[in-house]
Amino acid sequence: MTTKRLQIKNVSVKFGGLSALQDVSFEIDDNQLLGFIGPNGAGKTTLMRVIMGMITPLSGSVFLDGKNITGLKSVQRIHAGVALGQQIVKPLRQMSLLDNVALASGGAKLLSPLRALMVRERSEEREVAQELLIQVGLGDHAQKLPNELPLGFLKRLEVARALALNPLLLLLDEPLAGLSKPEAEQMADLIASLPRKGLSVIMIEHNLPQVQRVCPTLYVQSNGRALAFGATNKVIAEPEVRRAYLGVDA
Amino acid sequence: MTYEIVVLTNMAIAVLFALSLNVITGFCGQVSLGHAAFLGIGAYTSAMLSKAGVPIVITFIPAMGMAALIGLIVGVASLRVRHDFLAITTMGVVFLFTGIVRKQELLGGEIGIAGIPAPDFGRIGLLMTSLLCVLAYLLFTIWIRRSWTGFAFDSISEDEDTATLLGINVPKFKLFAFIVGTAGAGLAGALYAHQVRFIGPDSFGFVESISVLAMVIVGGIGSIWGVILSAAFLSALPQFFQVIDDYKLLVYGLLLFGAMRFAPDGIDGLLRKVSRWRAVK
Amino acid sequence: MLFVDLCIQGVIQGAIYALIALGLTLVYGLLRILHVAHAALFTLGGYVGVLVTNGSGSFLLALMTAMLVVGVVGMSSYTIIYKPLLNRTPLIALIASIGIFIASEELFRIFFGAYGLSYVSPPLQVQIEILPGISLSQARILVVILAVGLLSGVGWLAINTRMGIAARATVVDPQIAASSGVNVEIIRYGSFFIGSAFAGAAGVMVSLLNNLVEPTMGAVPSYKALAIIVLGGLGSVRGALIASLALGIIESFGTIYVGHLLDRDSIAFAFLIMVLMVRPQGLLVRG
Repeated sequence: MTTKRLQIKNVSVKFGGLSALQDVSFEIDDNQLLGFIGPNGAGKTTLMRVIMGMITPLSGSVFLDGKNITGLKSVQRIHAGVALGQQIVKPLRQMSLLDNVALASGGAKLLSPLRALMVRERSEEREVAQELLIQVGLGDHAQKLPNELPLGFLKRLEVARALALNPLLLLLDEPLAGLSKPEAEQMADLIASLPRKGLSVIMIEHNLPQVQRVCPTLYVQSNGRALAFGATNKVIAEPEVRRAYLGVDA
Repeated sequence: MTYEIVVLTNMAIAVLFALSLNVITGFCGQVSLGHAAFLGIGAYTSAMLSKAGVPIVITFIPAMGMAALIGLIVGVASLRVRHDFLAITTMGVVFLFTGIVRKQELLGGEIGIAGIPAPDFGRIGLLMTSLLCVLAYLLFTIWIRRSWTGFAFDSISEDEDTATLLGINVPKFKLFAFIVGTAGAGLAGALYAHQVRFIGPDSFGFVESISVLAMVIVGGIGSIWGVILSAAFLSALPQFFQVIDDYKLLVYGLLLFGAMRFAPDGIDGLLRKVSRWRAVK
Repeated sequence: MLFVDLCIQGVIQGAIYALIALGLTLVYGLLRILHVAHAALFTLGGYVGVLVTNGSGSFLLALMTAMLVVGVVGMSSYTIIYKPLLNRTPLIALIASIGIFIASEELFRIFFGAYGLSYVSPPLQVQIEILPGISLSQARILVVILAVGLLSGVGWLAINTRMGIAARATVVDPQIAASSGVNVEIIRYGSFFIGSAFAGAAGVMVSLLNNLVEPTMGAVPSYKALAIIVLGGLGSVRGALIASLALGIIESFGTIYVGHLLDRDSIAFAFLIMVLMVRPQGLLVRG
């Protein structure tokens, strides 16, 4: 058996007696782009937080490259190779786009203030950051402050910053939300171009047409349960999915 | 001449004290309303040791160590609370400190510790020592600011959750700020004890904590040079007001209010505005 | 007997704390600002109380006047201190507020002298036996009656009137409240008026219990009340009231049993820190 990039095994989460996730399992290989959909209240954000280590599950475990990371804190998981692009953009508004990305590419320095104290040079990280900004189409805006740019650009910054962490697995929480149709299309294309050997991407999204267009595989969750998982066309055609997610009777 | 030396030494100690809070509040964004407690811990540690015959300069080390140790403990406790909860917790720390000291015979209780030995290197020597300490601490904080630690602080002071998502180990960096900041306050306290040669619980209370926070804020949160200017100015202010001694606190209070109301970015912001205005001309 | 006595002392102190803390917690709920200058309004209440009682001979008139005057001054504190600083970091408003508080202590001293004022003939001093063997002065009983009456009055307003409902909505989400037609400014002024008037009433009662008003009498409430609203969960009115009572009682027992280790103020803060370590969000969550 080959090791999977990410494996979720029988994860359950409860909030004050209410079940948010029930026995959820799924997995993703390397070099994949997985669409993660589900109606509001399906527990998408909860599962994402479980993967990031912001919520400890009641039971079940999370594996990254075959390594059990269930007990790790967020910051350790990030250094183990899980990165998150947030739905609501949170750029650091006091520093340039370049420094926003350069900081994230600081690597092990960011784990220890003493190690960080020994280093003053930032040029290497800035070079990496510049390349990442070019990759997401913000190459010309590197020196600008976040407040000077529109939401669509800040969403790209969020992606560049997450990439700067050099992740094995990138989670993107509604990267298309709030974007106009052409912007969303461009963003989806950008996301589709990210997976490579050594990087898989999970895209949590409501924008079904774009997800269908760019994601080869889909995972559907509803009411805290895994509903379907597999090739996008097959999953979309399943009557259960159509009923739960699309509100269409099959 | 003696008078000027005393005033200058006081200014140097105030600058050191303010720079130390600037690491915690200015760099790392953690508000502290109880920083005077660490000034007090340094002062008491140094005073007790030098009364026991330890050379003054040697007492600086345990003074810093003791302040940093308690600072670390408070820091660990503070990791659980945020924002305004943190501010009030740190305010609690200063009341706990004075409350405990008041009831401890060993620490002189309500009356305090008198007869702290005068430095054998004289008043000018103490001024020079204070200036050296300020310089050393200043260089250290400038180094922090320009290192990756300072870079990480920038993100923590703006948004802790985002800093974590960028891979920064936020608790460790916060504790580092607490240790460096409280050690600086401990050093300032050791100098202070030998400058005034009499210390009591009232010298390290809530009002002193607010005064030093005011120095940092009036200086422009995080700006090293602004903080130095404002600490030097605000600590010397009571001397300027000797003439109108009766209205000293009234003027001080109104000045704090005025500074916040009309120049909320502090001295640093004012300087920037002036230089921008010049640039436009 | 000592036990009952300490409980009663605690309740009286708690009632005073509650009257002061209400305004502070309302201001925090609406503006997210720690309103230190609130304690100056408490002191102002004390001065008005003594001056009007001595001038007119009527304590009731003095109490009403104090509440009215302090309420109005409180509203103006919103205009002068906080309104221009709302879009700044709350730290700025906090320091501005502390500045005003320091200056006001000095103003009281300059106008009324450093040694304070007393009642010429203190009213409400008759002792009433409330339980066998325990009697309290009318003034002490009035403190509790006043606190219960005023606070439940506000509670009734908050639940049953349009303005009260609008105020609670504004605390939860100012933007949604404003967009659904609530005049946020009127809510703010109203809250400042009520909160300040209550602090004024507390000032009058404390001045009567001690038969003294002095410039520094706001110092203790200024920080103690901050501790209380934090303990209560910052912005939660019910939490602040529970915390007031809890703190009053803990202080009254603490000074007897651990008074040799810690003074009254540090007992309060030791309790605060212990609670925050277990519940970092305070006793109750906002709402």
